[in-house]
Amino acid sequence: MSREKKAISREELERIIALCESIENKGLDPFSVNVKELLMKLRRILEEYKDLDIIILDAETLYKIAVLISLQQKWLKERTSSLFIDSQLVSLKITSAEPKQLAAALARSWRPIVRAEQLTLYRLRQGIEYFLMLPPKDRAYEKLPATQEDALHILKGVGYAKDVTLEEEVRRMHESCLMMAGSDGEVDYWSIVKADTFEETVWRAYVLSFVVSEGLAEIKKNPLTGEIKVIPFLSKRKREKVAAFVVSLRGGEVSKDLGRQKK
Amino acid sequence: MEDRKSETERTAKKLMIATSMLLFSSHKLPGVRGWELRRRLGKNYLKIIDALNNRLNSIGLRVKIVFDQLSSDSPARDDFDKARFFVTLSEPLSVADIVAAGWNIEDVAILAAVFSYIFTKGGKASEKELVELLEIKFPRQRVEAVIERFTKKGYLTKFEDDMIKVGWRTLAEVDEKELLKAITEIASPQQNQRRDNTKEEA
Repeated sequence: MSREKKAISREELERIIALCESIENKGLDPFSVNVKELLMKLRRILEEYKDLDIIILDAETLYKIAVLISLQQKWLKERTSSLFIDSQLVSLKITSAEPKQLAAALARSWRPIVRAEQLTLYRLRQGIEYFLMLPPKDRAYEKLPATQEDALHILKGVGYAKDVTLEEEVRRMHESCLMMAGSDGEVDYWSIVKADTFEETVWRAYVLSFVVSEGLAEIKKNPLTGEIKVIPFLSKRKREKVAAFVVSLRGGEVSKDLGRQKK
Repeated sequence: MEDRKSETERTAKKLMIATSMLLFSSHKLPGVRGWELRRRLGKNYLKIIDALNNRLNSIGLRVKIVFDQLSSDSPARDDFDKARFFVTLSEPLSVADIVAAGWNIEDVAILAAVFSYIFTKGGKASEKELVELLEIKFPRQRVEAVIERFTKKGYLTKFEDDMIKVGWRTLAEVDEKELLKAITEIASPQQNQRRDNTKEEA
């Protein structure tokens, strides 16, 4: 019987804590609770049970009631500042007022923040001055060519570009492929590509790759012998299958005399 | 004589710095904190702000100070350091001005209702009860969209799932007492009708 009573008292304390917490969290009217009555209950429970569990719970309940009292004080302050206007009165006014009336009410009490969103001339001048003060990230940028012609000239100077038109080179390569092709319509890859210097050989291989890409020729490799053949066409052909073809210099496919000057 | 001149020049310079700091803000939020002003203007920055306020008043602006949380009833030096300083209009706008500035009158009405309800509910209210209150007059989706939009703008703050309180921007821009007074002074349609009848009889 005593244990049952103790459980009921415990439940009662927990209920008081939950009540105080809900008022605190949901912002409900803290005066809706009778604090005096809660304290009386607390006192009665404390007098009845000297158990440690109950004493701890009792202390927690007392703390929550203290928080509730401080909320009551805050509530009173806020109500005073809001001229004791009740939320129900405001709700009534909101539901009965026209949107324009509500907007006018806000307009009366609203003083929007003023801020500058755009640059001023002064700030712009400051920005320019700062920019001009900045050292270039890399001095090499200072020597950057101004025009496309200048850039091409530099590239030619270091050997990255040739003074030729690629279209013309492709046309010539296609013609020589056709001329060199035998009765079977095939020509050996190296016999076309090979030149006096290594650079020239690479260049010819590069041009031939364009001939093939354009659909003016085809390359075949015999997997057993490793022989590479070029099959030139008279006119452009549309290919069904396109695959990348790599000629490796390491694999010994480049002839030994490649790149050596003719004596 | 020269000393006084240089003092005046220094003050003028500080006024310029304060104006640019308050108006031209590079932060996401407008305005500056007190400690930022102190760092640029010196320990007497409040006097500079006061002088600036006097100057701004003549062109319809004012410096508004929003305190984070006051340690006592009268703000201390520390409270000013932590406070946010803004420049706002010194006089309210008319509804026509607000509409001309591109605001929708219904959005402003929803905002007025939300603010006044939150103010009377002790500074916070649940979104559910706000929507329920306003859906009598406005479509529910519109109310929800306005709450969302003005939360992003800093007028409202959402917390604990469903709860809403006024944001920093409302504290800076809206006068709570004046709004509540204006709301309570709204005449009901019956009162308007009665007033019209009296006018006709006269």
